[in-house]
Amino acid sequence: MFRAPLTKVIQGRFGSPTHGITSKAIRSSAALSQTPAKAPEKIEVFVDDVSVKVLPGTTVLQACAVAGVEIPRFCYHERLSVAGNCRMCLVEVEKSPKPVAACAMPVMKGWRIKTNSEMTRKAREGVMEFLLMNHPLDCPICDQGGECDLQDQAMAFGSDRSRFTDINHTGKRAVEDKNFGPLVKGIMTRCIHCTRCVRFACEVAGVEDLGTTGRGNDMQIGTYVEKLFLSELSGNVIDLCPVGALTSKPYSFVARPWEIRKVSSIDVLDAVGSNIVVSTRTNEVLRIVPRENEDINEEWLADKSRFACDGLKRQRLVAPMVRMPNGELQAVEWEGALISVAKAIKDAKGAVAAIAGQLVDVESLVALKDLLNRNGGETLCTEQNFNVKGSGSDLRSNYVCNTTIADLEQADAVLLIGTNPRYEAPLINTRLRKSYINNEMDIASIGPKIDLSYNHQNLGEDAGLISQVCNGGHPFSKVLENAKKPAIVLGANVLERPDAAGIHTTVASYCKKLNKQGWNAFNVLQNNAGQTGALDVGYQPGTQAALKAQPKVLILLGADGGKVDREKLPKDCYVIYIGHHGDNGASIADAVLPGAAYTEKQAIYVNTEGRAQQTLAAVSPPGMAREDWKILRALSEILGTPLPYDNLDDLRNRIEDIAPHLVRFGKLESSTFGNLTEQLATSKSIENTKIDVKQKKLREYFMTDPISRASPTMARCVREVSGEEAKEESQRQAAC
Amino acid sequence: MALPAKVFTLSRNGHRMFGTSLRLCAAGKDIVTVPKGYVYVNNKELSMEINEITDRAATTMFLGELFRGFAVTLAHIFKEPATINYPFEKGPLSPRFRGEHALRRYPSGEERCIACKLCEAICPAQAITIEATTRSDGSRRTTRYDIDMTKCIYCGFCQEACPVDAIVEGPNFEFSTETHEELLYNKEKLLCNGDKWESEIASNLQADHLYR
Amino acid sequence: MAKYLGLDRLGKIFQIIRQSGGIKNAYMKLYRFDDLKVGTLVGTDKYGNRYYENPYYFYGRNRWVEYADHLNLEYDGSQIPADWYGWMHYKTDLPPIRDGSRPKYKWMADHSENLSGTKEQYMPYSTTPPKVQAWDPKKSK
Repeated sequence: MFRAPLTKVIQGRFGSPTHGITSKAIRSSAALSQTPAKAPEKIEVFVDDVSVKVLPGTTVLQACAVAGVEIPRFCYHERLSVAGNCRMCLVEVEKSPKPVAACAMPVMKGWRIKTNSEMTRKAREGVMEFLLMNHPLDCPICDQGGECDLQDQAMAFGSDRSRFTDINHTGKRAVEDKNFGPLVKGIMTRCIHCTRCVRFACEVAGVEDLGTTGRGNDMQIGTYVEKLFLSELSGNVIDLCPVGALTSKPYSFVARPWEIRKVSSIDVLDAVGSNIVVSTRTNEVLRIVPRENEDINEEWLADKSRFACDGLKRQRLVAPMVRMPNGELQAVEWEGALISVAKAIKDAKGAVAAIAGQLVDVESLVALKDLLNRNGGETLCTEQNFNVKGSGSDLRSNYVCNTTIADLEQADAVLLIGTNPRYEAPLINTRLRKSYINNEMDIASIGPKIDLSYNHQNLGEDAGLISQVCNGGHPFSKVLENAKKPAIVLGANVLERPDAAGIHTTVASYCKKLNKQGWNAFNVLQNNAGQTGALDVGYQPGTQAALKAQPKVLILLGADGGKVDREKLPKDCYVIYIGHHGDNGASIADAVLPGAAYTEKQAIYVNTEGRAQQTLAAVSPPGMAREDWKILRALSEILGTPLPYDNLDDLRNRIEDIAPHLVRFGKLESSTFGNLTEQLATSKSIENTKIDVKQKKLREYFMTDPISRASPTMARCVREVSGEEAKEESQRQAAC
Repeated sequence: MALPAKVFTLSRNGHRMFGTSLRLCAAGKDIVTVPKGYVYVNNKELSMEINEITDRAATTMFLGELFRGFAVTLAHIFKEPATINYPFEKGPLSPRFRGEHALRRYPSGEERCIACKLCEAICPAQAITIEATTRSDGSRRTTRYDIDMTKCIYCGFCQEACPVDAIVEGPNFEFSTETHEELLYNKEKLLCNGDKWESEIASNLQADHLYR
Repeated sequence: MAKYLGLDRLGKIFQIIRQSGGIKNAYMKLYRFDDLKVGTLVGTDKYGNRYYENPYYFYGRNRWVEYADHLNLEYDGSQIPADWYGWMHYKTDLPPIRDGSRPKYKWMADHSENLSGTKEQYMPYSTTPPKVQAWDPKKSK
């Protein structure tokens, strides 16, 4: 984020204003000045004799950014509080006797800031010399090498010669490495004490695990006691660290930034749809890093999305397989597999059903639906259940986050029902936490007691509480009704209960009451990336319909949730699995057709707020695996009912015919007809049973889908985090 | 020594001893006047004077050029050869000679390469492929270090880039192979080269240390 | 006069033949090495190759090797080990037997000639495990 403008500085192209920097600076300056009621007058300052007008309270660094001048910095970060401890941003201000720290100093009227004067340059050079004095010269083995802020800035602003004479390194600082867990590798000798990681952990992740001990030369970043950094967002400190002190453990020593190919894509391991950059080399996914998107993930990324990518190389289906008479799956050629699958579908004479899984893309959903409809099958379901009574999944507003992720940040009263956003959608939880910090949001939850990383009121586990709150008879109802921007977040798993219809309609009709102009309070937090898309193209939620139909052929499109097994199906049912990992689905299948994972195809995914985005193919599918929709297209040819699309564009046109919003990438279409939910309701009864959430502890977060289940890194996380959590538990009990 | 030398001089100054006036034969008449300091490079026009035509005819008739050629050959039979008898005698090489690549080790036997990939980055022919990982003891090591010796242009940038003197271009140039794939070196082969040639590589580096 | 007639050369031939150990041996040497030279034996390496020097010949020819006898006609330029390589190529005047600065570590490998075309020739292979691990239906049960 800093690197691109830095090249400009190196090339000496000062004063070229960039819109990104400008808007960012204005946004954060607005946040800093706490948005006073009356818009204050702008004051004029001069950056390198260029006049800029900024709001009072703007820092020197932000004013320079408005003027298009990038000030070097290590500790300052737009999304974190100002620390002012690296001193790299020192600039000269006219009539000031000494240079000022640009990141922490608010501008005064008429200040003349000199970002390239002799004093500024000398100050930077001096700070850089101090930093390098205690920084090891191990760039060749440092993973940050090539994308290191310290390297870049030492080149741009450092001295061209060294005064370091201690070749025996007698006085060079060395710090013991710390174990932060299975994801973050700490080489603390490289630390320059910018405290970005400490501030991130406290402010964004809400885990006060990191801190500093000692002063001056003895200062150390660490956990004080031997302890892992337990957070679902821990990977972000790797991106934040300007040097190589915190690097990625699974990615350690794997590649250099200059040899990787970067492909912008979308994450599918939760339903947030975080924007990511997939780094590949020689057809291998090496790492995943976040891509900035203000509407979704800001610039963070959850650990599972970031680190589960090594699961893409394990347990893969690389060749079509058919179950032989001896009961074993055997690899065959595509032709043979497709012919035997087509024969089974033909013989079924329409008794065909399909179940779509967690990670399926819209393209293959549509192709599968078209294929089945052409062969007399109508039963298409998703693996995850949802309320099917009343308006059910017919109305789009019933199953998406209507408030939108970015707007949740402004909410001032939130009720969470049967969901743990911290682990189901970590980046939505950071929005809620931000709101908790900035807006003093009141937040309550119905469900088990969980740690959300911020204080919240737990109303209880009983489902009856939902109707209590929604009838207005609960103290928290007052809070919601008095709030300017209230929101209710319904977990996707709550709607898998038998009384889902009751809960759904009760909450929806209460939200109708809470809705304000331009503010929709009703949210369903999906936790499967494929679910919203599947419901959008008309799949029925829940496997009951497919099982009830007693199909002769069942097609599992990446359905690995383990909700279907052989016992529930007719004896002679021919199960076809199309997907990318050998998991629950493939092990019960009679025929396995290897598909592509999300990094291997250009595919549409719809996130929990209903935003369609597309992934791009970063690598090619392994072995004989092919893109899922192409498999279905080939199968349709053999079945004699060819699908009317031969390439992705044709297929996208077909998708546009079904649901035009699915091809408007990145745009959010607000859902209409939300008000009809109440009128179409069939029952409002809620059983008085306990509401549970699936992921309560961090260890339950890591493995939720076939990719993360195949990932060795995630397995290590589960092992180490379980150990750490058990240790904490025993310590707590001993203390009591 | 003396006799062959005389024969050789004889061939060199043959035109003096064997009468035919070479100089006249070669001299033609210039068609264009050549300014001073320039050389006329086109074919000269031959002189059509009667005695020069006779001279030329005599040279052709008595196979004069052929005998002169024989004389040169005869002289070289007695001369000491100017070539070296290769597999037994070898030409001089510089300690900086850039031959077959090798990966070196520390005196302890630990491989030097730390997988920093600078050689891969600098290689102008993109002949080097490196994959790295964490070794079981936590150190940074390569799992793959391949050099396509058929792509390599022997520029020596890799050894210049190496911060630990791990990859070097050794002194060996006698590694020609019968098939292409034998020249696709992998890490084992390169380390093996290093083990084989360490004695010479180390003394080459020692010889050059003042200038590095 | 003898020099003028090249008679000293004739004397040298006898000297060479004497050093080679008789006419038959001299003939064999000429047959193997295409040359007959006289010089001082500088050393012998562990593979049996003998190294000679005679400054009478011009630079480039004044050092030569006689490959070990058991090699017969199977001699090859790559049979000179690393120790003697520098001396052979005129990088140093110190033959390895007199050069104490050459490292001797226990991990240093024996010399081997260029093995291309033989059964022991080097064939490239991958030093890394396969990138993608396929699912094995038998293992999961």
